Amino acid sequence: MNRRQFVSGLGSAGFAMIQPVRVRASAPTAPVAIAKCKSYGDEFLAATAKMFDQLGGLGRIVKGKTVTIKINLTGGETTRQDYLPQSRTIWTHPRTVGSVIHLLDKAGARRIRVVEGAWMWPASLEEFMLKAGWDPSLLLGAAPHVELVNTNLPYKGKKPYSRFTVPHGGLLFPAYDLSTAFAESDVLVSMNKIKEHGTAGVTLSIKNLFGITPATIYGNKVPKDEPAPVPYAGRTDIGHMGSRQPPTCSPAEKDPTSPRQAGYRIPRIVADLAAAAPVSLAILEGVETIAGAELPRPGTTEAISPGVLVAGTNAVTTDAVAMAVMGLDPMADRGKAPFETCDNTLRLAEELGVGTRDLGQIEVVGESIKDVVFKFREHGGPRQWRPPGGRRNA
Amino acid sequence: MASRLRLWSRLTRPRAVARLVRWVSRTERVEVFPYPSTAKHTGAGSIDAAANFVAGPAQVIPAEALQWLRLGVLQCAVPGLVQRERDGDDLPAIATRELMQFENVIPLRWPSGPLEIARREKSEGFDSQIRQTLERWHDPAALEFLKGTAIDCIVISWAAGLLADAEQQRTAAPLIEAARQQNLAVVGWVDGTADHNAAIAAATAAGLTAVAIHGLHGSSGFPVITWSDRADVAWDSTAPVVAICGNVWPGVSLASGGADASAGPTGVPWLDSNGWCIQMARARLKAPLWVVFDPPAGPAVPSPQSYVKAICDSEAAGGRWVISLDDNLRSGLAAGNTAAWKDIASAASFFKDHPDWKSYRSLGLVGVISDFAGSDFDLTGEILNLMARRDLLFRVIWKSQALTQAIDQPFSGLRALVYADAKLPEPALRRKITDFVEQGGLLVAGREWGKAGTPAPPDFQTQFDVLAVGKGRLAVARNAIDDPYQLAGETQLLLSHRNDLVKIYNSPSSGCTRYTVSPDGKTALLQCLSYADGRRAGLRTIWVRDRHRATRMWTIEAPPVALEANTSEDYAGVEYHLPANATQAYLALEFERQRREA
Repeated sequence: MNRRQFVSGLGSAGFAMIQPVRVRASAPTAPVAIAKCKSYGDEFLAATAKMFDQLGGLGRIVKGKTVTIKINLTGGETTRQDYLPQSRTIWTHPRTVGSVIHLLDKAGARRIRVVEGAWMWPASLEEFMLKAGWDPSLLLGAAPHVELVNTNLPYKGKKPYSRFTVPHGGLLFPAYDLSTAFAESDVLVSMNKIKEHGTAGVTLSIKNLFGITPATIYGNKVPKDEPAPVPYAGRTDIGHMGSRQPPTCSPAEKDPTSPRQAGYRIPRIVADLAAAAPVSLAILEGVETIAGAELPRPGTTEAISPGVLVAGTNAVTTDAVAMAVMGLDPMADRGKAPFETCDNTLRLAEELGVGTRDLGQIEVVGESIKDVVFKFREHGGPRQWRPPGGRRNA
Repeated sequence: MASRLRLWSRLTRPRAVARLVRWVSRTERVEVFPYPSTAKHTGAGSIDAAANFVAGPAQVIPAEALQWLRLGVLQCAVPGLVQRERDGDDLPAIATRELMQFENVIPLRWPSGPLEIARREKSEGFDSQIRQTLERWHDPAALEFLKGTAIDCIVISWAAGLLADAEQQRTAAPLIEAARQQNLAVVGWVDGTADHNAAIAAATAAGLTAVAIHGLHGSSGFPVITWSDRADVAWDSTAPVVAICGNVWPGVSLASGGADASAGPTGVPWLDSNGWCIQMARARLKAPLWVVFDPPAGPAVPSPQSYVKAICDSEAAGGRWVISLDDNLRSGLAAGNTAAWKDIASAASFFKDHPDWKSYRSLGLVGVISDFAGSDFDLTGEILNLMARRDLLFRVIWKSQALTQAIDQPFSGLRALVYADAKLPEPALRRKITDFVEQGGLLVAGREWGKAGTPAPPDFQTQFDVLAVGKGRLAVARNAIDDPYQLAGETQLLLSHRNDLVKIYNSPSSGCTRYTVSPDGKTALLQCLSYADGRRAGLRTIWVRDRHRATRMWTIEAPPVALEANTSEDYAGVEYHLPANATQAYLALEFERQRREA
């Protein structure tokens, strides 16, 4: 069974019948590379190239493949931490994307797609980037055959969406309808900044997947029975609060009586997605980022420069190491930092068999955790956790 | 009439104006307000010469002395005008000055007296405190708080077709006299079923400066400001001031998507603004534009900052709000509490000091062509409104003006045109528009325009068929245009954000940004407004595509400061980092332009 068959659900459905939901013991592990990096130019390129070599080489993963890079452009395009461009604090930096595209091309990737569900955006990703002040040519010119796809829009072609079934039946939804761009992908790369998150505790490579759910299906105000033609709003109603179900054309929740709390729901959706659309390469950038939350919040967030990169071929192991680099415990459960008001997404993904979060089972290559640890909780103001109702508690 | 036209023609000639200024300046003492921008506005003379005008106590010209001014444009007098009889002087200096005087008058609505009480008595919430305030504002002593402020005109209730009209006019005499002593113009507001002629006669007798009457055009023998609702403005009016009613209280009214306006990235605030309408009107009117609206009724008391926003919303677009205060604030002022008034007075003073900004023209890349009448006004007006909210900078082009201007004039500097009127333009204008497209422009038009060209679909779902025509593109609606929101958004996408001129970061509930250039092209002005109330925001950054020689930031509260341009290695354009204490509601960046831009 190849990956495409797996993610299309042919294999996972049968697998689910014979496996219990909690499969932590069998969660796989994979090495994770750590590097110090203080800038986005040549230093980043050299550091990532070295990390990929430490992970066994990029060619074995991407050669001859269609590679999809899920970047992170969360929030409004006019919100900044202080005077800093979003790419230095909350978004994937365009020059890091350009560098990775270059390396993927060098490693033999057949086709490279940069994707993001651009925020409430009815047009192309390229146009969103222009609105956000990016120069898309940095990406499009980094290699031949680079495409930009806004996965919040119906994918062009006969089949705009493809169904991704969650192994073991899923935690919140049994399956998700995603852009067919993901189904056409052989290798999914998750690429974003190392951050905290007001609802899910941390934003790392698997949390980045929350943005692959198309807002035309999982966004507010979508029609009752079919996808919206364009995204109308964010995912609060269906994703965060569960105040309504997706259109009837897509799978409904497994248990509509489950808690209607963002801290319960978002970690489960993210874990589901991590299992249904596995990340083959996770690249977490902490050259510059923010502490305190996933988006700028005056009084809470602070721009920081940890100067670190974390990469791995398993999203959960990579995230576990990244949490340790942040000075946080990946084994922490609900009620303990950084999961004060939510479930631990890594635990849920681990239970779905995506990967282990146990640092004792993860090989770290390159720099050691203790040499790069940067305690996020020592920066920024008092954390503002979103209560179950979804609004911040001041 | 012919002789008057000749006179007006002479007045508007630069040489004649220069003579006028010389004529005025040779007088030892001329009883007029100083008005430094007079010469600038007439396009001739010098500011220095105009500044020689000497301030003096207000005097009102008797109506009969103004009979010859019934040409219309010159039919209103303001304080500072003096009747001067000079045999042999054929240049009526006062006429030109009075024309210009109204350009920069700051009016304050002054509800008081029996008429206002009679009217308010019928409304919900009327109580003894409101009655007392209305009575106290009828007392000349109430004018005290205006001393030392930029307010130089009060607009009093004058006639409404009620029994109280006569008593109002009789009892207002002390107030009018006191206002005159304070160099304040007094405009009488006439509405309802009032007899216009009787109101004018009473105003003449009482020595009012002018009256404001609904829909009255042409000559009356007395200065008349015409007021009307947005939809029925007499655009060709020659009144010295045109007042437009039916406006909204600027601010954040609600959020789309059901989230509240401060809910973070999910909350997209819905802005109420009059900016679009003012821009539309200013593109057509030669006379100063007064924007009339009252604070929202209800228990919520507008904050001083709300008033500042209301002033800024009108001023940035080129209009002037007839400042109208809520009952609580007026009650406080009557009791001597002027704390809340200071911010309002400061804002008014700020804009009075920058009258030239109103003459700047839009640098927007999208021209919206319409006759702005009937159903076309409804649709195209809303298109303007929604473009302003999303900071799609536009230029208003009245059809009539597009026809009369030289071939390359109406569309120069534009990248796109929007034509959504139901009726196709005249062949000559259509030809101009078609030429614009063939030379590389974009036209967004209704289905009536017709489709001719090679299909060139954009990369997003659109309600338009997009065709390549010459070097440009034609986007024709497939169906009748009934969603101005969608049209505004798709126009922005068709134009592409590649052409953005301005981006503003960390300015919650911003919109209605104005980017304009001075008539001589040497100065650009970016006016930024934020309609948020009390929402915390981070440090603000303003990005502009163009590089300028020098930039300074104006705020209402502080002297201008020079700003340094910051460049980013990854992005085009330049960024300005605003100081942490920069005012939230309004600021203006004044750019000294590079030579090639000018």
